[in-house]
Amino acid sequence: MQQPFQLTFLKALASLKLTFAALVVLAAVAVAFLWRDDVPGSVLAPPLGLLAVNLLAAIVTNHSFRRQGALLAFHAALLALVLLVAASRLTYLKGNLELADGGEFEGTLVAVDAGLLHPFEKLKQLRFASLGFEIDYAPGPLRQGIRNTIELRPPGGVPSRIVITDHAPLTLDGYRFYPTGNKGFSPTFVWHPADGGAPRVGTVNLPSYPLHEHGQALEWTPPGTDLKIWTMLEFSEIILAPDRPSSFRPPREHKLVLRIGETRRELVPGGSAELPGGRLEYRGLRGWMGYTVFYDWTIPWLLASSVVAVLALGLHFWNKFAAKPWNPEPQDPKEQ
Amino acid sequence: MNELQVLWAALVLYVLAGSAAIFAVIWRRRPERFVLAMMSLGLVLHTASIAMRWERLGHGPYVTMFEILSSNIWSLMLAFSLAYWRIPAIRASAAVVMPILFMMMGWIMMADPGDGTLPSSYHTVWLFIHIGFGKVFLGATLVAVGLAGVILLRPTARGAQWFARLPADERLDDLAYRCMALGFVFETLMLVAGAIWAQDAWGRYWAWDPLETWSFLTWLALAIALHARVTFKFAPRTGAILVIAVFVVAFLTFFGVPFISTTPHKGAV
Repeated sequence: MQQPFQLTFLKALASLKLTFAALVVLAAVAVAFLWRDDVPGSVLAPPLGLLAVNLLAAIVTNHSFRRQGALLAFHAALLALVLLVAASRLTYLKGNLELADGGEFEGTLVAVDAGLLHPFEKLKQLRFASLGFEIDYAPGPLRQGIRNTIELRPPGGVPSRIVITDHAPLTLDGYRFYPTGNKGFSPTFVWHPADGGAPRVGTVNLPSYPLHEHGQALEWTPPGTDLKIWTMLEFSEIILAPDRPSSFRPPREHKLVLRIGETRRELVPGGSAELPGGRLEYRGLRGWMGYTVFYDWTIPWLLASSVVAVLALGLHFWNKFAAKPWNPEPQDPKEQ
Repeated sequence: MNELQVLWAALVLYVLAGSAAIFAVIWRRRPERFVLAMMSLGLVLHTASIAMRWERLGHGPYVTMFEILSSNIWSLMLAFSLAYWRIPAIRASAAVVMPILFMMMGWIMMADPGDGTLPSSYHTVWLFIHIGFGKVFLGATLVAVGLAGVILLRPTARGAQWFARLPADERLDDLAYRCMALGFVFETLMLVAGAIWAQDAWGRYWAWDPLETWSFLTWLALAIALHARVTFKFAPRTGAILVIAVFVVAFLTFFGVPFISTTPHKGAV
């Protein structure tokens, strides 16, 4: 009796040879990730989609496959993983932000990479401040753990303080904020406009330290002006010693070198400079901390699916191998 | 005795065990109790050496190339010794396995035994879980490689003589498949534990860094090898070639990529 076309097609889709081909294509995509940095994650979609369709077709058409409960559970968990990864790609967020000591997060990131359906309004409602951080260095210098004091400032709620570390991020409404080794010094200025406007306090986050130890300079513009102020931090003491344990901290003595066009000025904490359009007052040096932000609501479900997959796989192999001993009988050489 | 002297003594015992196992195959003798005793004594000394270094530095053997080689030689020897003890029928496969371990022993003798500092991202229990699963995976794969090597050597005249006592190729192939299946379970566990660690340490569970990508490739190579065996009903020789291929990818992942990549996975952040 001839099978209906749909069933024939489904059986072709359920083919183990197709599974093999899709796995080989997936491996080729993984190799592409090794060779090139600019391969988009979306290239994973065709082989993963093909594997998902292949698996669904196998579940529908292959009765013996369905009789092996553990194997079925393993593949169903893999299917769930593929679907969850797809959902994750649509809604995830990865980003970065920098906060000077005392600075408040107001929902803005300096770099962001997010899925099409990410709910940005949740992020914009989050409020917290960094109150400072400590980082010890082993000889090298090699960074050790970060301890960053955070003040949670929920809108309309009571502020509270916590300490976050490399392994204990700040978790707010599904967003995880991780302190990182990207940190540095941050001069604090007060800009007094010449037109009598209200003074503005702000910080300038100099390049990451010690990564850019010899490039502690940055050009910036005071609010409401078109001045270009090139600012360089100068100090002579060794903050992070290569031969003994040390800690990250602002230098005890330092000065700022400012260049505005052809004009050169030097400032120490408490000093000020008259500039076109206003007076720049230098209050002192703080630290700034760089954070990575991560949001992915699928993480617990991915973990659960992975655990089910591993348990089911283990059970499948256990059932398969338990019937036959591991220690086979040796051959009788005379038979050869 | 310091930790290095204890380690060298352990390596000497491993070499004695391996040499005896190889000569036993060539000359068709059975000094199996001697081999097992040397392996066991070597493992005891090696464990002591690792413990002494751990105590002195305050961290386990997973920072420098020397430490990683040492801990892997230890775990691979342990895995193969267990197989050698519990599955007597495959003991002659030591003639294939031990040269691989000799190569690693030669490598560690050239590696700098200097101290390393534990990166901050290594201060987590997931490090032990991740590494532990990885060691079981590689150990199971090594046992499979021994069996695959026997299957591939047997068609030669000498191979047929040397390995005449071992079970038939089909049975060895089945056993290698079991080891690969066990390895697949633990490679999967290693990936899951690694993802948990990465989320903890770097704020993302997967980022396609070179070591992650190579680990995924190893997982895929295993999946392809296991699937191909079911799909195409390969002869034992083809299955053996797949086992060797998976081991090569795994070996590169474990001992090649972490030392040529400067990405965060090296733990240097």
